[in-house]
Amino acid sequence: MKSRLFKHRVGSTITMSLLLFGHGTLASGRIDYERVIRPLLAARCFRCHGPDKQESGLRLDERDRALAGGDGGTSIVPGRSRDSELIRRVTSVDEADRMPPKGKRLSPQEVDLLRKWIDQGAKGIPKSRASRAESHWAFQPIRRPTVPPPRNAAWPRNAAWPSNAAWPRNAIDRFVLDKLDEHKVTPSPEAPRETLIRRLYLDLIGLPPTWEEVSAFRDDRRPNAYERLVDELLASPHYGERWARHWLDLARYADSSGYESDKPREIWAYRDWVINALNADMPFDQFVTEQLAGDLLPIATIDQRIATGFHCNAMLDPGVRHESIIDRVNTTGAVFLGLTTGCAQCHSHKTDPLTHREFYQLYAFFNEATITEMRLDGEPLASSHLAPRDEPSTQDTNPKLEPDPQTTLVMKQTPQPTHIFLRGDRANPGELVEAGLPALLHVGRDASQAHPTKESSLTRLDLARWLLAADNPLTARVTANRIWQRFFGGGLVATEADFGIQTQEPLHGELLDYLASDLRSEKDPGWPGIKSLHRLIVTSATYRQSSIARPDIVNINSDNRLVAHQGRFRMEAEIIRDLSLSAGGWLSSKLGGPSVFPHQAAGILENRATPASWTTSEGEDRYRRGMYTWVWRLTPHPNLPLFDAPDGVTACTHRDRSNVPVQALTLLNDPTLVEAARSLAARIVNSSANSDAERIVLLVQTCLSRDPTSQELELLRTLIGNQRRTFATDHTAAAQVGSDKLPPECDPGEFAPWVVASRVVLNLDEFITRE
Amino acid sequence: MNVTDQTRRQFFGTSALSLAPVALSSLLASEQDDGPLPAQRPHHRPCAKSIIFLFQIGGPSQLDLFDPKPMLLRREGEPLPESMLKQISFAQIQEKQPKLMGSPWKFARHGECGATVSELVPHTASIADQITIAKTIKTDDTNHMFAELMMNTGWRQFGRPSLGSWAVYGLGTESQDLPAFTVLRSGMRPRSKGANYGNGFLPSKYQGTPLRASGDPILNLANPDGISVDTQRQSIDAINDLNRLRLQQTGDDEIAARIASYEVAFRMQSVAPELLELKNETPQTLADYGIDDPAKPSFARNCLIARRLVERGVRFVQCFHGDWDHHTGIASGLPQQCQLTDQPSAALVKDLAQRGLLDDTLVIWGGELGRTPVAQKSDKPNVAVGRDHQIEAFTMWLAGGGVKPGQTIGSTNDLGCLPTSESWHVYDLQATILHALGLDHERLTYRYQGRDFRLTDIHGEVKRQLFG
Repeated sequence: MKSRLFKHRVGSTITMSLLLFGHGTLASGRIDYERVIRPLLAARCFRCHGPDKQESGLRLDERDRALAGGDGGTSIVPGRSRDSELIRRVTSVDEADRMPPKGKRLSPQEVDLLRKWIDQGAKGIPKSRASRAESHWAFQPIRRPTVPPPRNAAWPRNAAWPSNAAWPRNAIDRFVLDKLDEHKVTPSPEAPRETLIRRLYLDLIGLPPTWEEVSAFRDDRRPNAYERLVDELLASPHYGERWARHWLDLARYADSSGYESDKPREIWAYRDWVINALNADMPFDQFVTEQLAGDLLPIATIDQRIATGFHCNAMLDPGVRHESIIDRVNTTGAVFLGLTTGCAQCHSHKTDPLTHREFYQLYAFFNEATITEMRLDGEPLASSHLAPRDEPSTQDTNPKLEPDPQTTLVMKQTPQPTHIFLRGDRANPGELVEAGLPALLHVGRDASQAHPTKESSLTRLDLARWLLAADNPLTARVTANRIWQRFFGGGLVATEADFGIQTQEPLHGELLDYLASDLRSEKDPGWPGIKSLHRLIVTSATYRQSSIARPDIVNINSDNRLVAHQGRFRMEAEIIRDLSLSAGGWLSSKLGGPSVFPHQAAGILENRATPASWTTSEGEDRYRRGMYTWVWRLTPHPNLPLFDAPDGVTACTHRDRSNVPVQALTLLNDPTLVEAARSLAARIVNSSANSDAERIVLLVQTCLSRDPTSQELELLRTLIGNQRRTFATDHTAAAQVGSDKLPPECDPGEFAPWVVASRVVLNLDEFITRE
Repeated sequence: MNVTDQTRRQFFGTSALSLAPVALSSLLASEQDDGPLPAQRPHHRPCAKSIIFLFQIGGPSQLDLFDPKPMLLRREGEPLPESMLKQISFAQIQEKQPKLMGSPWKFARHGECGATVSELVPHTASIADQITIAKTIKTDDTNHMFAELMMNTGWRQFGRPSLGSWAVYGLGTESQDLPAFTVLRSGMRPRSKGANYGNGFLPSKYQGTPLRASGDPILNLANPDGISVDTQRQSIDAINDLNRLRLQQTGDDEIAARIASYEVAFRMQSVAPELLELKNETPQTLADYGIDDPAKPSFARNCLIARRLVERGVRFVQCFHGDWDHHTGIASGLPQQCQLTDQPSAALVKDLAQRGLLDDTLVIWGGELGRTPVAQKSDKPNVAVGRDHQIEAFTMWLAGGGVKPGQTIGSTNDLGCLPTSESWHVYDLQATILHALGLDHERLTYRYQGRDFRLTDIHGEVKRQLFG
């Protein structure tokens, strides 16, 4: 039986890659326990000699126990690998004797690492799990790191990149250059201006620039042209939309309650609150506090109460109140702390310092809140509108287009007792707990001093203050990382929702802290809005790099951890719609308001337990930005999940970017996108461009924000020519293709080829990609 | 391993830096490389061409379906012995002395092989002689999300390629008209969502293509009015030519995947409508699967679509069905899931056999973990208790694709919580599945971050016993 349990299974070749890249062995030649030895022991030994099992009494993950050894005596003798039983066993040629007993034996390199580490004194094993947490990088206070000094090229210069001394534009670049130099890698050249403006537009407002805007920027020779453009975009009302949608992913925003019943709910006012707050560059602490506890602020305004919609977004169904509270705890953990609190629902967290009891203390904050409807005009709700408990009373299965009165969901403090649920099970209530803050290391000590435990128990307001406390390093680190993620396609910490103990310090840990300290100044007790950090990032040379792949460094730049180039990634579901509609020229620029119902295929709402309706919106509302589309959680508009929009079930911190044939079918054949191609063709044909070549140039400029290459021009010209011949003989088809967008006095056979060409360009990878 | 990929990467890798002008004609000539995944030669003689993995999300209770333990009934309510308690890990149970719970369902021997199967799955019992039941599957994580990833990607974290994507990476596809790796869903979504059929670090074109779980399985198959097949073909040629130019400039592999997607999309337009036209099946076939309304999404419909997919040369079909996570209410929940899945699963095996497809198709039935012999108490009154997660030994069944039928492989102890014969770790299962496809799990590698990765990491042993 023992051998079966010893069976070596938890695979890890972490050490192998560490060896290859030379990390973990510090400059002094010292072997780093956390980076090298612990992963090795965790993979090969902890399963039987770790926290869960101690075969033969040996436990290797805690210092005293590891040094004391097991039933058979000492296993590690610091400084003397030759006398260490551990080395003897892993090198034993006797199969009955060697460790691990099954699976491959340790490689000579692995044994060598262990030997060296023991000879160096076997240092670094944490005293206990708690002490390991104490030394975990993400839990350390944020200290604004010193910006690396300017340096001269350590890497080989080449003609394409003659100088690195002139490269940095701001502090970010100095951090990036420092690591690039260390790895003897050059940064990527700056992207062309056409790419830069499109990148800035898509990143900051989620809309493409018009060709007029592109050419104006291209020709703007003022030294601060780029910075002016950045400021202009940060001031655009569409900035709020773009960044609100990122936040709504975290807030699991949707227009229905979820579960099988999936009833409609009215909560768009919360979505608009987020847009407005971001546009106003609301200080981040205020932004968080109002969402978690706006109702508890002194003389709470209507807006502050609307903000509490953040946690009203949780799914709701009769009888599942408990689950929605669990979701609120977990969302809080993932969004602000970057911790997987969910594990502590049933047991103390296996790795992170969060106990089962602490989970239910967090639970208590949200257990003491109920969800109610509130009229946006501040008038009291008619009693019939009042929800019985926490369940909105809407029985209507059709979403209200013009709800009267307009309402939204808000939180209301309603004290009630909280029990620990053993194993996370409601039938198993344990002791009573009060709302309380996790003793997560030093975090929040200031906060608890500033707000000593009062006679009454803590509220969500105290939770918000704790999250935002000067000595809580997680909220700022997690937020800064997430902002970086949006601008580069991936975070400096790749596991953007898990900053726990299992997550190693990123290569750019100092840069992350620099960014975080920009959000959370040690000197200033308040937080700024996030626009200033956005400005810092997008004006860096690092951000302005080309996104062309770097096969030269592929082996040392996994996940682009060196940030040696920009990211090139497909746009989100909502933005793909916005791009197409913009090209067609009829994207509505209207901000906010109730969610809308653009065209969708028949049959999407079939087979629901609770019927739902979808009456296509009229007029301008049919052409609103993708983020305003009504979301039935159970049966969302098909183009949303198809392009990886979140399902609103739990907080989404990272969207997939899938790339599958059914997406191609939609981009080619979806009626809305075909309509966009028609409108685009009409714009081209109606323009002053007369020759085929001029029109093609205009088409590419409009859609891709750049001039076509000669090869592209030739390809499209050939397509137009062939299609002209096709439609010259098939008038019916030509009329169908042009449909109602046929410009007056234009021959259908002449128009149809332009619809085909427009559709081709709207289907290009580059069109739906931010480079 | 995959020559085309590497050549392309080298080619574009260089051109991305030097931006050497490449004649358009030579780009167009490379179409073959960028199209759907050409069939490739396996490492050894395969016994299966296709896989249908009927993935049962949440962990079906092997103790109530395939692994009868009369001892549990005899010792009902007694605590699990301390010695065993120490050797197993629960997901949720925290009780110091969890109590044994027998199965309320009757078991009987079936077929000539005499396999013991529960009354809950009479249809599966009827194919006892066509399947092989493996009772000592073992995994590493008690958490659904990570156990799903373990079973489907061989790694307990996000980011690794899935079994299906490894298979199509290794073998390409016989069908140039449909996604080589197609995913169908019914009931609850898998908890690790798309990562279960993702491509990880493999190029995107190897990822699974999910069909819709409600309404039409594939939308937008028809061309817009007035666009003929010829115009569509010319349009897609233009799109792919233009994308190829961009691929040359950026060196971004995503574009290669997009080119392949458009190629498959075009072919799907002609093939998929017929594929999904289940009315063409005989009323008898529909009845065999238990499909009342072919337009209505269900696991049964997905099983039938799965057969039609492999019939058309699709390499890997995965039908996800949930949810079997019966921590509570197992008395009502388990029969309900069996009702939805038993008949179609068995019908699929019979149907494949009848059409001569079973020899070439490996069918796998099972979830990411199993369930405990001890009861987990319910939080609601009047609801029967359930079972927690068990990872030391659980049951899956396999059929076709060279599997020697009628075997029951492996055994567990009297209480059903620990194996008494050799464990089949998930890695062993994965190695064995790849083996059936003619792929050597140790040779099917992909270089990433400076080292060769494989599905089975540094583990896995092909269980030849399965094939007799």
